[in-house]
Amino acid sequence: MLLSESARVTTAQEARFRIQTPNSKPRAVKVIALDSEAARLVDEISKQPWNGAAFFKSLSFEQSGGDNVKAWLNDLAGHTSDLVGEVANADCVVVIAGAGEDAASVSVIAELCNHYHKTLVALVVPQGSYDQDTVDRSLKALRPHAKMLVIAHERDYIEAMLTALRA
Amino acid sequence: MLKKEQNDLVTQTGPGTPMGDLFRAYWLPILLSEELPENDCPPVRVKVLSERMIAFRDSEGKLGLIDEFCAHRGVSLWFGRNEECGLRCPYHGWKFDTTGQCVDVPSEPEESGYAKKIKLKNYPLIEKGGVLWTYMGPAETTPPEPEWEFATVPLNQSFTSKRLQENNWLQAMEGGIDSSHVSFLHRGDLNNDPLFKGAAGNKYNLADSKPVFEVVEAPGGLYIGARRNAEDGKFYWRITPWVMPCFTMVPPRGDHPIHGHFWVPIDDETCTAWSFDYHPTRPLTDTERQAMKDGKGIHVRYVPGTYRPLANKDNDYLIDREAQKAGRTYSGVEGIGMQDASLQESMGPICDRTKENLVGTDNGIIMARHRLMRAAKALHEKGVLPPGRTVDDMKVRSAAVILPPDQHYKEAAKEALIAKVGVKQTSV
Ligand code: FES
Ligand SMILES: [Fe+2]
Repeated sequence: MLLSESARVTTAQEARFRIQTPNSKPRAVKVIALDSEAARLVDEISKQPWNGAAFFKSLSFEQSGGDNVKAWLNDLAGHTSDLVGEVANADCVVVIAGAGEDAASVSVIAELCNHYHKTLVALVVPQGSYDQDTVDRSLKALRPHAKMLVIAHERDYIEAMLTALRA
Repeated sequence: MLKKEQNDLVTQTGPGTPMGDLFRAYWLPILLSEELPENDCPPVRVKVLSERMIAFRDSEGKLGLIDEFCAHRGVSLWFGRNEECGLRCPYHGWKFDTTGQCVDVPSEPEESGYAKKIKLKNYPLIEKGGVLWTYMGPAETTPPEPEWEFATVPLNQSFTSKRLQENNWLQAMEGGIDSSHVSFLHRGDLNNDPLFKGAAGNKYNLADSKPVFEVVEAPGGLYIGARRNAEDGKFYWRITPWVMPCFTMVPPRGDHPIHGHFWVPIDDETCTAWSFDYHPTRPLTDTERQAMKDGKGIHVRYVPGTYRPLANKDNDYLIDREAQKAGRTYSGVEGIGMQDASLQESMGPICDRTKENLVGTDNGIIMARHRLMRAAKALHEKGVLPPGRTVDDMKVRSAAVILPPDQHYKEAAKEALIAKVGVKQTSV
Protein backbone atom coordinates (compact mmCIF):
# COMPACT_ATOMS: atom_id res chain seq x y z
CA MET A 1 0.00 0.00 0.00
CA LEU A 2 1.23 3.47 -0.81
CA LEU A 3 1.81 5.57 2.25
CA SER A 4 -0.67 8.39 2.52
CA GLU A 5 0.57 11.95 2.79
CA SER A 6 -0.46 12.12 6.44
CA ALA A 7 1.50 9.04 7.35
CA ARG A 8 4.56 10.29 5.52
CA VAL A 9 4.63 13.75 7.05
CA THR A 10 3.83 13.03 10.68
CA THR A 11 7.10 11.29 11.51
CA ALA A 12 9.76 12.69 13.82
CA GLN A 13 12.12 12.96 10.85
CA GLU A 14 9.68 15.11 8.93
CA ALA A 15 9.12 17.32 11.98
CA ARG A 16 12.71 18.51 11.48
CA PHE A 17 11.65 20.35 8.36
CA ARG A 18 9.33 22.75 10.08
CA ILE A 19 10.27 26.28 9.02
CA GLN A 20 12.29 27.99 11.70
CA THR A 21 11.45 31.60 10.85
CA PRO A 22 9.58 33.10 13.81
CA ASN A 23 5.82 32.97 13.28
CA SER A 24 4.90 35.93 15.45
CA LYS A 25 6.03 39.38 16.45
CA PRO A 26 6.40 40.46 20.06
CA ARG A 27 3.06 41.41 21.55
CA ALA A 28 2.27 44.26 23.87
CA VAL A 29 0.98 42.82 27.13
CA LYS A 30 -0.09 45.29 29.81
CA VAL A 31 -0.10 43.93 33.33
CA ILE A 32 -2.07 46.01 35.81
CA ALA A 33 -2.27 45.41 39.56
CA LEU A 34 -5.68 46.14 41.03
CA ASP A 35 -4.75 46.29 44.70
CA SER A 36 -1.74 46.65 46.94
CA GLU A 37 -1.18 42.90 47.33
CA ALA A 38 -1.14 42.54 43.59
CA ALA A 39 1.15 45.56 43.27
CA ARG A 40 3.71 43.80 45.43
CA LEU A 41 3.59 40.71 43.22
CA VAL A 42 3.76 42.73 40.04
CA ASP A 43 6.72 44.65 41.39
CA GLU A 44 8.65 41.43 41.96
CA ILE A 45 7.74 39.87 38.66
CA SER A 46 8.57 42.95 36.64
CA LYS A 47 12.23 42.61 37.63
CA GLN A 48 12.67 39.60 35.39
CA PRO A 49 13.42 39.96 31.72
CA TRP A 50 10.26 40.12 29.60
CA ASN A 51 9.53 40.66 25.93
CA GLY A 52 8.25 44.17 26.30
CA ALA A 53 5.48 43.54 28.82
CA ALA A 54 4.56 46.70 30.70
CA PHE A 55 3.80 46.50 34.42
CA PHE A 56 1.66 48.93 36.39
CA LYS A 57 1.18 48.97 40.11
CA SER A 58 -1.93 51.09 40.37
CA LEU A 59 -4.58 53.17 38.72
CA SER A 60 -5.50 56.68 39.72
CA PHE A 61 -8.23 59.03 38.61
CA GLU A 62 -8.20 62.74 38.09
CA GLN A 63 -11.04 65.15 37.48
CA SER A 64 -10.25 66.88 34.21
CA GLY A 65 -12.81 69.56 33.67
CA GLY A 66 -16.56 69.02 33.87
CA ASP A 67 -17.58 65.39 34.23
CA ASN A 68 -14.50 64.10 32.53
CA VAL A 69 -12.38 61.77 34.57
CA LYS A 70 -8.96 60.87 33.39
CA ALA A 71 -7.37 57.61 34.45
CA TRP A 72 -3.66 57.22 34.93
CA LEU A 73 -1.58 54.13 35.29
CA ASN A 74 1.34 54.29 37.66
CA ASP A 75 4.31 52.17 36.78
CA LEU A 76 6.89 50.85 39.16
CA ALA A 77 9.46 53.52 38.47
CA GLY A 78 6.98 56.16 39.56
CA HIS A 79 6.00 57.32 36.09
CA THR A 80 2.42 57.70 35.02
CA SER A 81 0.87 56.99 31.69
CA ASP A 82 -2.53 57.45 30.21
CA LEU A 83 -4.73 54.36 30.63
CA VAL A 84 -6.49 54.99 27.33
CA GLY A 85 -3.23 55.06 25.44
CA GLU A 86 -1.94 51.91 27.10
CA VAL A 87 -5.08 49.94 26.37
CA ALA A 88 -5.34 51.23 22.83
CA ASN A 89 -1.81 49.99 22.16
CA ALA A 90 -2.18 46.66 23.94
CA ASP A 91 -2.55 43.24 22.41
CA CYS A 92 -3.73 41.80 25.68
CA VAL A 93 -4.52 43.32 29.04
CA VAL A 94 -3.91 41.27 32.18
CA VAL A 95 -5.30 42.53 35.46
CA ILE A 96 -4.18 40.98 38.72
CA ALA A 97 -6.10 41.02 41.97
CA GLY A 98 -4.39 39.90 45.17
CA ALA A 99 -7.92 39.42 46.46
CA GLY A 100 -7.04 41.59 49.40
CA GLU A 101 -9.02 44.60 48.34
CA ASP A 102 -11.78 45.75 46.15
CA ALA A 103 -11.22 45.27 42.43
CA ALA A 104 -13.78 47.84 41.35
CA SER A 105 -11.45 49.88 39.14
CA VAL A 106 -11.50 46.97 36.75
CA SER A 107 -14.72 48.23 35.20
CA VAL A 108 -12.93 51.31 33.86
CA ILE A 109 -10.26 49.13 32.30
CA ALA A 110 -12.85 46.73 31.01
CA GLU A 111 -14.81 49.45 29.30
CA LEU A 112 -11.72 50.54 27.45
CA CYS A 113 -10.87 46.96 26.51
CA ASN A 114 -14.35 46.62 25.11
CA HIS A 115 -14.06 49.85 23.21
CA TYR A 116 -10.73 48.92 21.66
CA HIS A 117 -11.62 45.22 21.28
CA LYS A 118 -8.83 43.95 23.49
CA THR A 119 -8.89 40.70 25.40
CA LEU A 120 -9.02 41.16 29.14
CA VAL A 121 -7.55 38.38 31.26
CA ALA A 122 -8.10 38.57 35.00
CA LEU A 123 -5.99 36.70 37.51
CA VAL A 124 -7.03 36.39 41.12
CA VAL A 125 -4.14 35.32 43.30
CA PRO A 126 -5.29 35.10 46.92
CA GLN A 127 -2.33 35.93 49.15
CA GLY A 128 -1.47 34.95 52.68
CA SER A 129 -4.44 34.44 54.95
CA TYR A 130 -7.02 35.84 52.57
CA ASP A 131 -10.66 35.60 53.47
CA GLN A 132 -13.14 34.05 51.11
CA ASP A 133 -15.50 37.04 51.20
CA THR A 134 -12.89 39.37 49.80
CA VAL A 135 -12.02 36.86 47.12
CA ASP A 136 -15.68 36.63 46.23
CA ARG A 137 -15.94 40.40 46.04
CA SER A 138 -13.01 40.57 43.66
CA LEU A 139 -14.51 37.83 41.57
CA LYS A 140 -17.82 39.58 41.40
CA ALA A 141 -16.14 42.73 40.22
CA LEU A 142 -14.07 40.88 37.62
CA ARG A 143 -16.50 38.32 36.30
CA PRO A 144 -18.63 40.55 34.07
CA HIS A 145 -15.59 41.91 32.29
CA ALA A 146 -12.95 39.26 31.82
CA LYS A 147 -12.80 36.99 28.81
CA MET A 148 -10.75 34.63 30.93
CA LEU A 149 -10.81 34.62 34.69
CA VAL A 150 -8.27 32.53 36.56
CA ILE A 151 -8.06 31.86 40.26
CA ALA A 152 -4.57 30.67 41.05
CA HIS A 153 -3.32 29.90 44.51
CA GLU A 154 0.31 29.79 43.58
CA ARG A 155 1.85 33.14 42.89
CA ASP A 156 4.38 31.68 40.45
CA TYR A 157 1.44 31.10 38.18
CA ILE A 158 1.55 34.74 37.15
CA GLU A 159 5.03 34.27 35.76
CA ALA A 160 4.12 30.96 34.18
CA MET A 161 1.19 32.55 32.42
CA LEU A 162 3.10 35.60 31.22
CA THR A 163 5.87 33.37 29.91
CA ALA A 164 3.36 31.18 28.12
CA LEU A 165 1.85 34.28 26.51
CA ARG A 166 5.34 35.49 25.45
CA ALA A 167 4.68 38.70 27.39
CA MET B 1 4.75 28.75 24.63
CA LEU B 2 7.04 26.42 26.51
CA LYS B 3 10.80 26.54 26.52
CA LYS B 4 12.50 23.51 25.00
CA GLU B 5 13.53 22.15 28.44
CA GLN B 6 9.97 22.53 29.69
CA ASN B 7 8.55 20.80 26.65
CA ASP B 8 10.98 17.92 27.15
CA LEU B 9 10.04 17.75 30.80
CA VAL B 10 6.28 17.45 30.25
CA THR B 11 6.41 15.14 27.27
CA GLN B 12 8.96 12.53 28.40
CA THR B 13 7.52 9.81 30.60
CA GLY B 14 10.06 6.99 30.37
CA PRO B 15 11.63 5.40 33.48
CA GLY B 16 13.64 7.85 35.57
CA THR B 17 12.26 11.02 34.01
CA PRO B 18 10.46 13.52 36.28
CA MET B 19 7.19 13.23 34.38
CA GLY B 20 7.69 9.46 34.24
CA ASP B 21 7.94 9.44 38.03
CA LEU B 22 4.78 11.53 38.21
CA PHE B 23 2.79 9.10 36.07
CA ARG B 24 4.12 6.27 38.21
CA ALA B 25 2.32 7.79 41.20
CA TYR B 26 -1.14 6.83 39.88
CA TRP B 27 -3.18 3.82 38.86
CA LEU B 28 -3.47 3.92 35.07
CA PRO B 29 -5.87 2.07 32.78
CA ILE B 30 -3.85 -0.13 30.44
CA LEU B 31 -6.10 -2.85 29.02
CA LEU B 32 -9.77 -3.58 28.56
CA SER B 33 -10.95 -6.66 30.44
CA GLU B 34 -12.05 -8.04 27.07
CA GLU B 35 -8.39 -8.26 26.05
CA LEU B 36 -7.83 -10.98 28.65
CA PRO B 37 -11.27 -12.58 28.42
CA GLU B 38 -10.66 -15.88 30.23
CA ASN B 39 -8.23 -17.96 32.23
CA ASP B 40 -5.25 -19.21 30.20
CA CYS B 41 -6.17 -16.97 27.28
CA PRO B 42 -3.42 -15.70 24.98
CA PRO B 43 -1.07 -13.19 26.62
CA VAL B 44 -1.13 -9.59 25.44
CA ARG B 45 1.74 -7.22 24.71
CA VAL B 46 1.42 -3.88 26.38
CA LYS B 47 3.66 -0.85 26.41
CA VAL B 48 3.07 1.86 29.01
CA LEU B 49 5.34 4.78 29.94
CA SER B 50 7.96 3.41 27.54
CA GLU B 51 8.14 0.00 29.26
CA ARG B 52 7.30 -3.18 27.37
CA MET B 53 5.34 -5.75 29.27
CA ILE B 54 3.22 -8.86 28.89
CA ALA B 55 -0.17 -9.19 30.54
CA PHE B 56 -1.84 -12.53 31.12
CA ARG B 57 -4.58 -14.21 33.12
CA ASP B 58 -3.41 -17.51 34.54
CA SER B 59 -5.25 -20.80 35.01
CA GLU B 60 -6.75 -19.56 38.30
CA GLY B 61 -7.76 -16.15 36.96
CA LYS B 62 -4.83 -14.31 38.55
CA LEU B 63 -3.68 -11.30 36.57
CA GLY B 64 -0.04 -10.80 35.76
CA LEU B 65 1.86 -7.90 34.25
CA ILE B 66 5.51 -8.71 33.76
CA ASP B 67 8.59 -7.80 31.73
CA GLU B 68 7.93 -8.80 28.12
CA PHE B 69 11.21 -10.60 27.59
CA CYS B 70 12.26 -14.01 28.83
CA ALA B 71 15.10 -13.86 31.32
CA HIS B 72 16.95 -16.67 29.53
CA ARG B 73 17.82 -15.28 26.13
CA GLY B 74 15.31 -12.51 25.59
CA VAL B 75 12.48 -14.04 23.60
CA SER B 76 9.18 -12.17 23.75
CA LEU B 77 6.81 -13.95 26.06
CA TRP B 78 4.00 -12.98 23.72
CA PHE B 79 4.80 -16.36 22.16
CA GLY B 80 4.43 -17.93 25.56
CA ARG B 81 2.22 -20.87 26.46
CA ASN B 82 -0.25 -19.77 29.10
CA GLU B 83 -0.69 -23.02 31.01
CA GLU B 84 -0.82 -24.46 34.52
CA CYS B 85 -0.54 -21.19 36.39
CA GLY B 86 2.25 -19.64 34.42
CA LEU B 87 3.57 -18.41 31.13
CA ARG B 88 6.08 -20.75 29.54
CA CYS B 89 8.61 -19.45 27.03
CA PRO B 90 8.37 -21.67 23.95
CA TYR B 91 12.11 -21.42 23.20
CA HIS B 92 13.63 -23.47 26.05
CA GLY B 93 10.65 -23.87 28.34
CA TRP B 94 11.39 -21.42 31.15
CA LYS B 95 8.21 -20.65 33.02
CA PHE B 96 7.07 -17.54 34.92
CA ASP B 97 4.12 -16.92 37.24
CA THR B 98 1.97 -13.77 37.46
CA THR B 99 4.48 -12.10 39.76
CA GLY B 100 7.27 -12.61 37.24
CA GLN B 101 8.87 -15.27 39.42
CA CYS B 102 10.55 -17.98 37.40
CA VAL B 103 9.07 -21.29 38.51
CA ASP B 104 10.71 -23.72 36.13
CA VAL B 105 14.04 -23.94 34.30
CA PRO B 106 13.76 -27.36 32.64
CA SER B 107 17.48 -27.71 31.91
CA GLU B 108 18.41 -27.42 35.59
CA PRO B 109 17.63 -29.95 38.32
CA GLU B 110 14.64 -28.73 40.28
CA GLU B 111 16.51 -29.23 43.54
CA SER B 112 19.23 -26.84 42.46
CA GLY B 113 16.89 -23.90 43.20
CA TYR B 114 18.08 -22.18 40.03
CA ALA B 115 14.59 -20.97 39.12
CA LYS B 116 14.20 -19.18 42.45
CA LYS B 117 17.03 -16.84 41.53
CA ILE B 118 15.30 -15.63 38.39
CA LYS B 119 12.56 -13.05 38.53
CA LEU B 120 11.14 -10.70 35.93
CA LYS B 121 10.02 -7.21 36.93
CA ASN B 122 6.29 -7.15 37.57
CA TYR B 123 3.61 -4.61 38.32
CA PRO B 124 0.25 -5.08 40.02
CA LEU B 125 -2.68 -5.52 37.66
CA ILE B 126 -6.22 -5.15 38.94
CA GLU B 127 -9.63 -5.27 37.31
CA LYS B 128 -12.26 -2.62 37.86
CA GLY B 129 -15.15 -1.45 35.73
CA GLY B 130 -14.23 -3.59 32.72
CA VAL B 131 -10.73 -2.13 32.74
CA LEU B 132 -7.36 -3.49 33.88
CA TRP B 133 -5.29 -1.00 35.85
CA THR B 134 -1.69 -0.92 36.87
CA TYR B 135 0.38 1.10 39.27
CA MET B 136 4.05 1.31 38.31
CA GLY B 137 5.45 3.25 41.26
CA PRO B 138 7.01 2.28 44.58
CA ALA B 139 4.89 -0.16 46.60
CA GLU B 140 5.15 1.96 49.76
CA THR B 141 3.31 4.83 48.13
CA THR B 142 0.55 2.90 46.35
CA PRO B 143 -2.51 5.17 46.12
CA PRO B 144 -6.06 3.96 46.79
CA GLU B 145 -7.48 1.81 44.00
CA PRO B 146 -9.36 3.57 41.17
CA GLU B 147 -12.68 5.03 42.33
CA TRP B 148 -13.60 6.93 39.18
CA GLU B 149 -17.34 6.87 38.79
CA PHE B 150 -17.25 5.27 35.34
CA ALA B 151 -15.33 2.34 36.80
CA THR B 152 -17.56 1.88 39.82
CA VAL B 153 -21.09 1.99 38.35
CA PRO B 154 -22.63 -1.39 37.39
CA LEU B 155 -21.21 -2.60 34.07
CA ASN B 156 -24.56 -2.24 32.30
CA GLN B 157 -24.38 1.52 32.96
CA SER B 158 -21.04 2.04 31.24
CA PHE B 159 -19.18 1.59 27.99
CA THR B 160 -15.43 2.05 27.74
CA SER B 161 -13.27 1.96 24.64
CA LYS B 162 -9.68 2.76 23.84
CA ARG B 163 -7.85 3.76 20.72
CA LEU B 164 -4.27 4.14 19.65
CA GLN B 165 -3.29 7.74 19.15
CA GLU B 166 -0.05 8.28 17.29
CA ASN B 167 1.36 11.27 19.14
CA ASN B 168 2.64 12.31 22.55
CA TRP B 169 0.17 12.08 25.43
CA LEU B 170 0.20 15.79 26.29
CA GLN B 171 -1.04 17.18 23.01
CA ALA B 172 -3.87 14.62 23.17
CA MET B 173 -4.74 15.49 26.77
CA GLU B 174 -4.64 19.20 26.04
CA GLY B 175 -7.49 18.68 23.60
CA GLY B 176 -9.53 17.40 26.52
CA ILE B 177 -9.26 20.67 28.44
CA ASP B 178 -9.32 23.01 25.46
CA SER B 179 -12.96 24.05 25.64
CA SER B 180 -12.63 26.71 22.98
CA HIS B 181 -12.11 24.28 20.08
CA VAL B 182 -15.55 22.75 20.48
CA SER B 183 -17.26 25.73 18.83
CA PHE B 184 -15.21 25.09 15.70
CA LEU B 185 -13.95 21.60 15.21
CA HIS B 186 -16.98 19.74 16.55
CA ARG B 187 -19.72 22.19 15.64
CA GLY B 188 -21.25 19.88 13.04
CA ASP B 189 -21.77 17.06 15.53
CA LEU B 190 -23.92 18.70 18.18
CA ASN B 191 -27.09 18.36 16.19
CA ASN B 192 -26.27 15.12 14.42
CA ASP B 193 -24.51 12.74 16.76
CA PRO B 194 -27.04 10.43 18.43
CA LEU B 195 -25.11 10.72 21.69
CA PHE B 196 -25.30 14.54 21.81
CA LYS B 197 -28.31 15.71 19.91
CA GLY B 198 -31.53 16.98 21.40
CA ALA B 199 -30.09 18.40 24.63
CA ALA B 200 -31.59 21.75 25.66
CA GLY B 201 -28.12 23.12 26.30
CA ASN B 202 -26.98 22.61 22.70
CA LYS B 203 -28.73 25.75 21.54
CA TYR B 204 -26.57 27.92 23.80
CA ASN B 205 -23.46 26.34 22.34
CA LEU B 206 -24.57 27.01 18.83
CA ALA B 207 -25.85 30.54 19.49
CA ASP B 208 -22.79 31.76 21.35
CA SER B 209 -19.50 30.68 19.82
CA LYS B 210 -17.42 33.04 21.94
CA PRO B 211 -17.62 31.64 25.43
CA VAL B 212 -15.99 33.27 28.41
CA PHE B 213 -13.82 31.09 30.63
CA GLU B 214 -13.15 30.68 34.28
CA VAL B 215 -10.32 28.45 35.46
CA VAL B 216 -10.24 27.39 39.09
CA GLU B 217 -7.84 25.11 40.87
CA ALA B 218 -9.16 21.97 42.51
CA PRO B 219 -7.13 20.00 45.04
CA GLY B 220 -6.37 17.31 42.46
CA GLY B 221 -6.33 19.38 39.30
CA LEU B 222 -8.52 22.00 37.70
CA TYR B 223 -12.00 23.00 36.77
CA ILE B 224 -12.40 24.80 33.49
CA GLY B 225 -15.74 26.55 33.23
CA ALA B 226 -16.98 27.84 29.87
CA ARG B 227 -19.80 30.33 30.12
CA ARG B 228 -22.30 31.20 27.43
CA ASN B 229 -25.35 33.42 27.47
CA ALA B 230 -28.67 31.81 28.34
CA GLU B 231 -32.10 33.41 28.80
CA ASP B 232 -32.89 36.33 31.12
CA GLY B 233 -29.31 37.37 31.65
CA LYS B 234 -28.41 33.98 33.07
CA PHE B 235 -25.36 31.97 32.08
CA TYR B 236 -25.05 28.47 30.70
CA TRP B 237 -21.94 26.92 32.21
CA ARG B 238 -20.10 23.87 30.97
CA ILE B 239 -17.60 22.66 33.53
CA THR B 240 -14.73 20.35 32.63
CA PRO B 241 -12.69 18.75 35.38
CA TRP B 242 -9.08 17.74 34.89
CA VAL B 243 -7.48 15.48 37.47
CA MET B 244 -3.75 15.02 37.47
CA PRO B 245 -2.10 13.81 35.43
CA CYS B 246 -4.34 12.71 32.58
CA PHE B 247 -8.04 12.39 33.43
CA THR B 248 -10.53 14.73 31.76
CA MET B 249 -14.32 14.77 31.51
CA VAL B 250 -16.66 16.35 29.02
CA PRO B 251 -19.65 18.27 30.40
CA PRO B 252 -22.90 16.35 29.90
CA ARG B 253 -25.69 17.08 27.46
CA GLY B 254 -29.26 16.45 28.55
CA ASP B 255 -29.82 12.91 29.78
CA HIS B 256 -27.22 11.46 27.42
CA PRO B 257 -24.55 9.36 29.10
CA ILE B 258 -21.73 11.44 30.52
CA HIS B 259 -18.24 10.89 29.17
CA GLY B 260 -14.57 11.53 29.48
CA HIS B 261 -11.06 10.31 28.84
CA PHE B 262 -7.81 9.05 30.18
CA TRP B 263 -4.71 9.92 28.13
CA VAL B 264 -2.06 7.33 28.89
CA PRO B 265 1.43 7.45 27.39
CA ILE B 266 2.51 4.32 25.54
CA ASP B 267 5.88 5.87 24.83
CA ASP B 268 6.82 9.46 24.08
CA GLU B 269 5.41 9.31 20.56
CA THR B 270 2.19 7.39 21.07
CA CYS B 271 -0.55 7.21 23.65
CA THR B 272 -3.77 5.39 24.38
CA ALA B 273 -6.86 7.57 24.34
CA TRP B 274 -9.36 5.95 26.70
CA SER B 275 -12.96 6.99 26.17
CA PHE B 276 -15.62 6.15 28.72
CA ASP B 277 -19.34 6.78 28.68
CA TYR B 278 -21.66 6.02 31.57
CA HIS B 279 -24.91 7.00 33.15
CA PRO B 280 -24.78 7.38 36.93
CA THR B 281 -28.31 6.09 37.54
CA ARG B 282 -29.55 3.94 34.67
CA PRO B 283 -28.37 1.21 32.32
CA LEU B 284 -27.31 2.38 28.87
CA THR B 285 -30.00 1.65 26.32
CA ASP B 286 -29.33 -0.81 23.52
CA THR B 287 -29.42 2.07 21.06
CA GLU B 288 -26.82 4.01 23.04
CA ARG B 289 -24.56 1.02 23.41
CA GLN B 290 -24.85 0.23 19.71
CA ALA B 291 -24.07 3.84 18.78
CA MET B 292 -20.93 3.68 20.94
CA LYS B 293 -19.88 0.41 19.31
CA ASP B 294 -20.46 2.04 15.94
CA GLY B 295 -17.98 4.78 16.79
CA LYS B 296 -20.43 7.57 17.59
CA GLY B 297 -19.88 10.18 20.26
CA ILE B 298 -16.31 10.07 21.51
CA HIS B 299 -15.73 6.49 20.34
CA VAL B 300 -14.32 5.32 17.02
CA ARG B 301 -14.53 2.43 14.61
CA TYR B 302 -11.47 0.24 14.42
CA VAL B 303 -9.32 -1.46 11.86
CA PRO B 304 -10.73 -4.96 12.46
CA GLY B 305 -8.85 -6.93 15.09
CA THR B 306 -7.02 -3.87 16.45
CA TYR B 307 -7.56 -0.77 18.56
CA ARG B 308 -6.29 1.42 15.76
CA PRO B 309 -8.96 3.73 14.39
CA LEU B 310 -10.33 2.83 10.98
CA ALA B 311 -9.75 6.41 9.88
CA ASN B 312 -6.06 6.87 10.53
CA LYS B 313 -3.04 8.57 9.10
CA ASP B 314 -2.46 5.83 6.54
CA ASN B 315 -5.69 6.75 4.78
CA ASP B 316 -5.56 10.50 5.48
CA TYR B 317 -8.32 10.01 8.06
CA LEU B 318 -10.77 9.47 5.18
CA ILE B 319 -10.99 13.23 4.90
CA ASP B 320 -14.04 14.35 2.94
CA ARG B 321 -13.45 17.77 1.41
CA GLU B 322 -17.03 17.95 0.16
CA ALA B 323 -18.36 17.52 3.69
CA GLN B 324 -15.88 20.13 4.85
CA LYS B 325 -17.00 22.59 2.21
CA ALA B 326 -20.68 21.95 2.87
CA GLY B 327 -20.12 22.32 6.63
CA ARG B 328 -21.39 18.83 7.49
CA THR B 329 -18.10 18.46 9.32
CA TYR B 330 -15.87 21.40 10.11
CA SER B 331 -12.56 19.74 9.21
CA GLY B 332 -13.80 17.10 6.79
CA VAL B 333 -13.02 14.30 9.24
CA GLU B 334 -15.92 12.38 10.69
CA GLY B 335 -16.51 11.72 14.40
CA ILE B 336 -15.47 13.73 17.44
CA GLY B 337 -12.67 11.35 18.41
CA MET B 338 -11.01 11.32 15.02
CA GLN B 339 -11.53 15.03 14.52
CA ASP B 340 -9.36 15.56 17.58
CA ALA B 341 -6.89 12.77 16.90
CA SER B 342 -6.28 13.71 13.27
CA LEU B 343 -5.36 17.27 14.16
CA GLN B 344 -3.28 16.27 17.15
CA GLU B 345 -1.34 13.69 15.14
CA SER B 346 -0.74 16.34 12.49
CA MET B 347 1.27 18.33 15.06
CA GLY B 348 3.95 15.63 14.77
CA PRO B 349 4.84 12.92 17.27
CA ILE B 350 5.88 15.50 19.89
CA CYS B 351 4.43 18.95 19.43
CA ASP B 352 7.06 21.69 19.37
CA ARG B 353 5.62 24.11 21.92
CA THR B 354 8.43 26.60 21.51
CA LYS B 355 6.64 27.78 18.38
CA GLU B 356 3.11 28.19 19.66
CA ASN B 357 1.38 31.50 20.35
CA LEU B 358 -1.08 31.05 23.16
CA VAL B 359 -3.87 33.46 23.90
CA GLY B 360 -5.67 34.43 27.09
CA THR B 361 -8.33 31.78 26.61
CA ASP B 362 -5.66 29.08 26.65
CA ASN B 363 -5.23 29.51 30.39
CA GLY B 364 -6.70 26.09 31.14
CA ILE B 365 -3.86 24.53 29.20
CA ILE B 366 -1.27 26.90 30.65
CA MET B 367 -2.39 26.10 34.18
CA ALA B 368 -2.46 22.34 33.61
CA ARG B 369 1.10 22.37 32.24
CA HIS B 370 2.22 24.55 35.11
CA ARG B 371 0.79 22.21 37.70
CA LEU B 372 2.22 19.14 35.97
CA MET B 373 5.72 20.59 35.82
CA ARG B 374 5.54 21.78 39.40
CA ALA B 375 4.33 18.45 40.71
CA ALA B 376 6.81 16.45 38.62
CA LYS B 377 9.73 18.50 39.90
CA ALA B 378 8.57 18.36 43.52
CA LEU B 379 8.27 14.58 43.31
CA HIS B 380 11.51 14.02 41.43
CA GLU B 381 13.64 16.39 43.49
CA LYS B 382 12.04 16.28 46.92
CA GLY B 383 9.90 13.16 46.95
CA VAL B 384 6.69 15.16 47.45
CA LEU B 385 3.74 13.01 46.39
CA PRO B 386 1.64 14.76 43.75
CA PRO B 387 -2.04 15.82 44.00
CA GLY B 388 -4.88 13.80 42.50
CA ARG B 389 -4.28 10.51 44.33
CA THR B 390 -7.10 10.49 46.87
CA VAL B 391 -10.54 8.93 46.60
CA ASP B 392 -12.08 12.41 46.78
CA ASP B 393 -10.00 13.54 43.83
CA MET B 394 -11.39 10.64 41.83
CA LYS B 395 -15.01 11.31 42.80
CA VAL B 396 -15.42 14.08 40.25
CA ARG B 397 -17.99 14.74 37.60
CA SER B 398 -18.38 17.24 34.85
CA ALA B 399 -21.54 19.34 34.87
CA ALA B 400 -23.66 21.64 32.75
CA VAL B 401 -25.73 24.22 34.66
CA ILE B 402 -27.59 27.45 34.23
CA LEU B 403 -26.72 30.00 36.91
CA PRO B 404 -27.58 33.60 37.72
CA PRO B 405 -24.81 35.97 36.65
CA ASP B 406 -23.50 36.72 40.11
CA GLN B 407 -22.90 33.11 41.10
CA HIS B 408 -19.58 31.39 40.96
CA TYR B 409 -19.85 27.88 39.56
CA LYS B 410 -17.26 26.47 41.91
CA GLU B 411 -19.62 27.28 44.79
CA ALA B 412 -23.03 27.21 43.11
CA ALA B 413 -22.35 23.94 41.28
CA LYS B 414 -20.23 22.41 44.03
CA GLU B 415 -22.46 19.39 44.59
CA ALA B 416 -22.89 18.87 40.85
CA LEU B 417 -19.14 18.35 40.52
CA ILE B 418 -19.04 15.46 42.99
CA ALA B 419 -19.87 11.92 41.91
CA LYS B 420 -22.49 10.43 44.19
CA VAL B 421 -23.91 6.94 44.02
CA GLY B 422 -27.51 6.97 42.84
CA VAL B 423 -27.50 10.66 41.99
CA LYS B 424 -28.00 11.75 38.41
CA GLN B 425 -25.58 14.04 36.62
CA THR B 426 -26.39 17.75 36.59
CA SER B 427 -27.06 18.62 33.01
CA VAL B 428 -28.97 20.90 30.66
S1 FES C 1 -6.35 27.49 15.14
FE1 FES C 1 -5.62 26.53 16.93
S2 FES C 1 -4.10 25.19 16.15
FE2 FES C 1 -4.69 26.28 14.42
FE1 LIG D 1 -12.36 17.72 20.80
